[in-house]
Amino acid sequence: MPVLTYLEAIRQGLWEEMERDERVFLLGEDIGVYGGAFKVTEGFLERFGEERVIDTPISEAAIVGAAIGAALVGLRPVAEMQFIDFISIAFDQLTNFAAKCRYRWGAGVPIVVRGPCGGGVHGGPFHSQNVEAYFFHTPGLKIVEPATPYDAKGLIKAAIRDEDPVLYFEHKYLYRRIRGEVPEGDYIVPIGKADIKRLGRDVTILTYGWMLHKSLEAAEIVAQEGIEVEVVDLRTLLPLDDETILSSVAKTGRAVIVHEDTRTGGIAGEIAMRINERIFEYLEAPVVRVTAPDTPIPFSPPLEEFFLPQVEEIVQAVRWVANY
Amino acid sequence: MEETLTREQLLDMYYYMKLTRMVEERLQRLYRQGKIVGGLYRSLGQEGESVASAYALEEGDFLAVMIRNLGALFVRGVRPWEVFTQYMGKGTSPTRGKDNIVHFGSVERGIIPPISHLGDLIPVMAGIALASKMQRKRSVALTYIGDGGTSTGAFHEGLNFAAVLKLPLIVIAEDNGYAYSTPKHKQMAIENIADRAIGYGIFGETVDGNDVIAVYHATRRAVERAREGLGPTLLEVKTFRMRGHAEHDDAWYVPRELLEYWQKRDPILRLETYLKEHGMADETDFEAITHRIEQEIEADLQYAEQSPMPDPRIALEGVYAETPSVSEVAPLPREHAVRTRS
Amino acid sequence: MKVEVIMPQMGESIAEGTVTKWLKRPGDYVRRDEPLFEISTDKVDAEIPSPAEGVLAEVLVHEGETVPIQTVVAYIETDKEAVEAPPREVSERAATEAVPPREPAPEPTRAVPPTTEPSPMREIILPPHPWEKQKQEIRITIPAERAERKAVRSSPVVEKLAQEYGIDLTQVEGTGRGGRVTKRDVLRYLEERAAHPSEVRPQPVEAPSPEAPELETPLYPPYLPGERVEIVPMSVMRKKIAEHMVYSKRVAPHVTTFFEIDMTRVSRLREQLQPDFEQRHGIKLTYLPFIIQACVSALKAFPLLNASVAEDKIVYKKDINIGIAVALEWGLIVPVIKNADALSLVGLAKAVHDLATRARNKQLKPEEVQGGTFTITNPGVFGSLFGTPVIHQPQVAILGVGRITKRPVVVEDDAIAIRAMAYFSLSFDHRLIDGAIADQFMAHIKRTLESFELTGV
Repeated sequence: MPVLTYLEAIRQGLWEEMERDERVFLLGEDIGVYGGAFKVTEGFLERFGEERVIDTPISEAAIVGAAIGAALVGLRPVAEMQFIDFISIAFDQLTNFAAKCRYRWGAGVPIVVRGPCGGGVHGGPFHSQNVEAYFFHTPGLKIVEPATPYDAKGLIKAAIRDEDPVLYFEHKYLYRRIRGEVPEGDYIVPIGKADIKRLGRDVTILTYGWMLHKSLEAAEIVAQEGIEVEVVDLRTLLPLDDETILSSVAKTGRAVIVHEDTRTGGIAGEIAMRINERIFEYLEAPVVRVTAPDTPIPFSPPLEEFFLPQVEEIVQAVRWVANY
Repeated sequence: MEETLTREQLLDMYYYMKLTRMVEERLQRLYRQGKIVGGLYRSLGQEGESVASAYALEEGDFLAVMIRNLGALFVRGVRPWEVFTQYMGKGTSPTRGKDNIVHFGSVERGIIPPISHLGDLIPVMAGIALASKMQRKRSVALTYIGDGGTSTGAFHEGLNFAAVLKLPLIVIAEDNGYAYSTPKHKQMAIENIADRAIGYGIFGETVDGNDVIAVYHATRRAVERAREGLGPTLLEVKTFRMRGHAEHDDAWYVPRELLEYWQKRDPILRLETYLKEHGMADETDFEAITHRIEQEIEADLQYAEQSPMPDPRIALEGVYAETPSVSEVAPLPREHAVRTRS
Repeated sequence: MKVEVIMPQMGESIAEGTVTKWLKRPGDYVRRDEPLFEISTDKVDAEIPSPAEGVLAEVLVHEGETVPIQTVVAYIETDKEAVEAPPREVSERAATEAVPPREPAPEPTRAVPPTTEPSPMREIILPPHPWEKQKQEIRITIPAERAERKAVRSSPVVEKLAQEYGIDLTQVEGTGRGGRVTKRDVLRYLEERAAHPSEVRPQPVEAPSPEAPELETPLYPPYLPGERVEIVPMSVMRKKIAEHMVYSKRVAPHVTTFFEIDMTRVSRLREQLQPDFEQRHGIKLTYLPFIIQACVSALKAFPLLNASVAEDKIVYKKDINIGIAVALEWGLIVPVIKNADALSLVGLAKAVHDLATRARNKQLKPEEVQGGTFTITNPGVFGSLFGTPVIHQPQVAILGVGRITKRPVVVEDDAIAIRAMAYFSLSFDHRLIDGAIADQFMAHIKRTLESFELTGV
């Protein structure tokens, strides 16, 4: 089976969807001629033409708004935010327009808004953010964040085919650093389904994005101490896969939630609450979380390293709940 | 070569303007009787530009109104009962009570509902225009914005986007003097909104908004321009808001002289005068139309008043495609047809 | 000196580069900033200038080869003397973080769980809460044996209580949701156990000592064969007291200090307040509330006496819970006034009266004999002048109040006066408390009592 990088998998998924369905088109800044700031859409302009690969002005609100309009009348737009940090300019369009059309007047808005998220590349406060928490709170939106090439391709396809607005977050640190087997041809990773990336028995880690890989590292370390960790890759952040999450935590009785996003208001709080309100009796220890602290993301490498959750912190949290 | 409007077309537009005014008058009475949920926003004095601009569209075109464009909705086939049920929050309203006032529509009818945040419609309608172009359709997208709304970032982003991509978008900018209590000179440093068209590299025009014939023709020009691929038009209509922002606002801040000035230029009055002067119609014709409208309103209002309030459980539905959507919960009780220009 | 030529990082997320062309050959002379080689990356092709002036000594990465960023691709030999190369810490770290594995990173695999055979699973449907609007049943699948263990699930609080009191939760009837054992259930169980001590295991007077002394063959047998004796089994309380006393003396080196305190002022205050007090509150005002207030004041000033010893750590207690030793017909019990510092004189009097009464009527609740941080005992009530009380574990001090008697004492100016005097003895744990502190503590009590100020009765 071919081995692709995370970025190549996204590119392949986008390409195949554009070939499969002529209603699919791309719009965003520098995605055509330049091939995208990270080269995700390299070669698309040559293959699909200017009409389906649109280089737009710097207008995130208009990019998303136009995507909404086009989607209302039957097209399948995929809008790129050059860095997902810039999605804040389109906040109104996403939360007040896209998210509410079906609820208010029965019209679906099948758009995909995708972009690179996360830190680890010394990008500083405005090129390293994780923005899921801002939109997690909005009924009507869906949010996915793959962590592996296999999931990346499957989820971009699922997002494009979904009838509702999907935010698709690609972790920029993983773009070229993670490789994996990616089947050729068409397949879907369903939205709303988490994936158990490592079976375990003693502690459950619930995580996503880059943190999946750090969690797996942590799991290997504590395995030496006889602690078998089950690592659940959420993949879809909204809607959360309650069944998989609660089954796993009910089985192990101990949960550690790991996300790169900052602590207060990060989705770990919501997940912990769901565990608490449904399977309290199965818990052997309090639910804990490993997150970034409540600060903007600093730039200089020692500061950023301090800010980002590290494997050692995850290990400590796992040990803590295991020995509670 | 500009076509001439026929008598039938003019009387049609007259009908829609009177329908708008009389429905809103009725709503005002209902509001004071406590039969309306929430606020009431009238378009008194502006009925002409809404009706005339919408009248210039054809089947297949897309329309998106703002709160003071009820007349445009009627032109496109909306009936009074839909408006009454929306204002009353009834279960039989087009949105099943999920939203109010003119926040309703459907893609099939070519009507895109607005959201309350101003300006957001413009990028969305640009997107619809983009889709038209990509699908090789002739349809255009038309929407409205008030003088206040032109100050928003969304207005700028949407218009610039449409300009760069030469999209078939028409934005009717209504200079009606006030945005709530804010007069135009506190909203912008220019006199005519249409002057901004130069900045976007698009066509701009200013017309007398209370002259339905002028508005109609200007809109037709913009529509043709769009269909020919010449890009967007920013069509400014000069009119005046003859009442407050909403029924709870008595607009004490508007100088009396302004109201008197514009009262003389009322669009319905002017069309009546025009028709009479050209021997196309007289008082009996107007009375007949008025009478017809009264009956339609009575019938539709009765339906609305007798309609039940929505089942509370509907509140949970329609968030995602997997949950049943609003129109699936109960079929629309009445037929509505897309009215085309006769 | 050799200068490194490295593969640069031409943009974020770029992790490697390909050398496409060497513009110089080994042996060629190159000036600083002169184009040295060309590279190609995902984002851009670029000409790389030489970092130094000298001779291209060694080429490590050849045309067409792809290497991670920061890799040394060549060396330039300059004719300058070797200088300490500045540490490339930052870039080093960037290198270690940015270097991707050359081989494809292993696809996260599923580790096989340690169990050899698959455990039978059970599907459980979690119902929504009745107040929830979005009624959502969630179906979970877990190993069957986990589902079964849930039968004895209770709560962290209950688990802790069970552990402390040595209760087998499976024996306790649960009245909570789905048969859960609640805190109330446990307390009820304890009350029943106390009421019928012979039926169940020993009732704790307070938190059981962590180590009960082992019973071993006594060096001095309590009776000899042939001696006329009557052997009566000890009551549970007696056994507990015995164990406790031995333990306390064993772990805590006891030292007792004695102070003579003039209780005249307190006595007068008491007489003054007594009639009104009795009328208004229905109980007698004794000396104890005054003494407790003085102790509270002293404990605040000397928090070391309101502490416990945890091996090599001092556990300062934030709450001041005063235990009052109550003599019973069948033994001894020490009910605790919780947060005595929050009570007024009246409050203290009431608390003492209430606890003592209920102690005698066996109506104390388990939590009322727990959690004390300092104890006051009153040997004086039976006539003793002063005693050497045993510290109540895990506390570190105990105050004994002797009998208050009128005695002639020498006062100011060498005059003799009749004063109501009492001996107060403080036994303290010398692991933690030195004599100086203990005496200062007692001096504080003495001062407080001898110049007692009513601050709102």
